Amino acid sequence: MRYEYTVETEDLAKYYYMGKYVVKALDGINLRVRRGEYLSIMGPSGSGKTTLFNMIGGLDRPTRGRVYIDEVDISKLDAYELAWLRCRKIGYVFQTFNLIPVLTALENVMLPMIFAGVPREQRIKKAIELLNAVGLGDRLHHKPGELSGGQQQRVAIARALANDPAIVLADEPTGNLDLNTGLEIINLMRTLNKEKGVTVITATHDLKMIDVSDRIVYIRDGKIERIETRAEVAVEA
Amino acid sequence: MSRVGTWEIGEIKFPFSEAVRFSLENIKKRFTRAAITAASVVLGIAFMNSLMMMAAINQQVSGMGGIELYQYWLLFISLLVCAVGITNSMLIAVTERYKEIGTWKTLGALDKHVLELFLIEASLIGLIGGLVGYIAGLVAAVIYGAVFQGAPMDKISSAFFGTKMVPLPLPTAPALLVLSLVVAVGISLAASLYPAYKGAKLEPAVAFRFEV
Ligand SMILES: Nc1ncnc2c1ncn2[C@@H]1O[C@H](COP(=O)(O)OP(=O)(O)OP(=O)(O)O)[C@@H](O)[C@H]1O
Ligand SMILES: [Mg+2]
Repeated sequence: MRYEYTVETEDLAKYYYMGKYVVKALDGINLRVRRGEYLSIMGPSGSGKTTLFNMIGGLDRPTRGRVYIDEVDISKLDAYELAWLRCRKIGYVFQTFNLIPVLTALENVMLPMIFAGVPREQRIKKAIELLNAVGLGDRLHHKPGELSGGQQQRVAIARALANDPAIVLADEPTGNLDLNTGLEIINLMRTLNKEKGVTVITATHDLKMIDVSDRIVYIRDGKIERIETRAEVAVEA
Repeated sequence: MSRVGTWEIGEIKFPFSEAVRFSLENIKKRFTRAAITAASVVLGIAFMNSLMMMAAINQQVSGMGGIELYQYWLLFISLLVCAVGITNSMLIAVTERYKEIGTWKTLGALDKHVLELFLIEASLIGLIGGLVGYIAGLVAAVIYGAVFQGAPMDKISSAFFGTKMVPLPLPTAPALLVLSLVVAVGISLAASLYPAYKGAKLEPAVAFRFEV
């Protein structure tokens, strides 16, 4: 909790070798994300947003370079430590919600706490609190199939926060939602970022995200094109 | 546990009771898929039981005979076919759940937890399939004995419970029940090992790219 930078990448690169050619999905990304920051990663389709999301989240290994979370080089972690990182330090939110379809909203939110070894009573209590906080207190026992897209994404956000992560990583969290529902989700994430001090990093092409972001990183062809802080954005607008 | 930087890497837990609960939910909610897998087990186990019990009824009726070597061969082949059916069905089940496996892993699941989930599911399917196959096999044997062999009820009952002396001892119905469940769970587990392993090894980034 003392580090200035929750996430730091150093010459991060990911190449895919497709027969003769190389796809440089990421090519030398240097990025520092402050604790409590709300950062958006913008870029056209294929620019490498999801790849960057996967690297920072410890879901894939880079070809070159490093990712530090709380100053720990995550390429040095073994499978067990990586699972612990995913469980305790990072909460993930996806475009396609990715809830476990056979489990209720409550059970979905409790799942990360099972892995963290939180006792049952506490799990239930915390999960209900979180679902209340995202406005789904009356949908605890609904399965994902019985919820709207926006509601599913709220469950996913509650689940991402279950183990009080340092970072919430979101890959196009509003990509499958209509304008208003998307806006609600963005505001919810911003509120949680402010209230809980959790660092939020979202990959997006949603321009609505610009208004709430502290900084916007524009990437293209796997490289950082420019970085704007909110003041600059406000001036431009 | 271990220390990395300033992190205290704690234990990752996944109680067996929770795993069983999730596997049961999966079977209930994806009943068609589970039923297709179980159908392979049912057929193999039903064949095994009918073969054994028909032989026992024949013995009671004619006072001789047992199971020929070629029948064991048939049994072996049928159980092998059953195993291939389960593997095929489980491979599809795993493929259908790529995204879900990726999600489990982002929440903290280790490879062994994913393996555990699929193997518990396989055991439960084996158990259910074994029980249904056992009943179906015995029903088939009774119909065979009563209708085609004209065996009276007491002879069928003797075949079931082994009360009359026969040339070659064959398993009784209660023994067949135990055998059926053991064989069913064993085959189901063995046949699911590869699909479950394949699912467990999946990296989240790969799992999420699939289909999308
Ligand atoms: N497994 C892979 N094999 C080959 N190429 C890949 C693989 N994963 C990603 N790529 C390529 O890397 C580039 C970046 O992909 P990525 O998914 O990160 O883009 P993105 O910015 O998230 O796009 P979108 O906005 O459409 O989601 C693309 O050109 C893509 O085709
Ligand atoms: Mg993407």
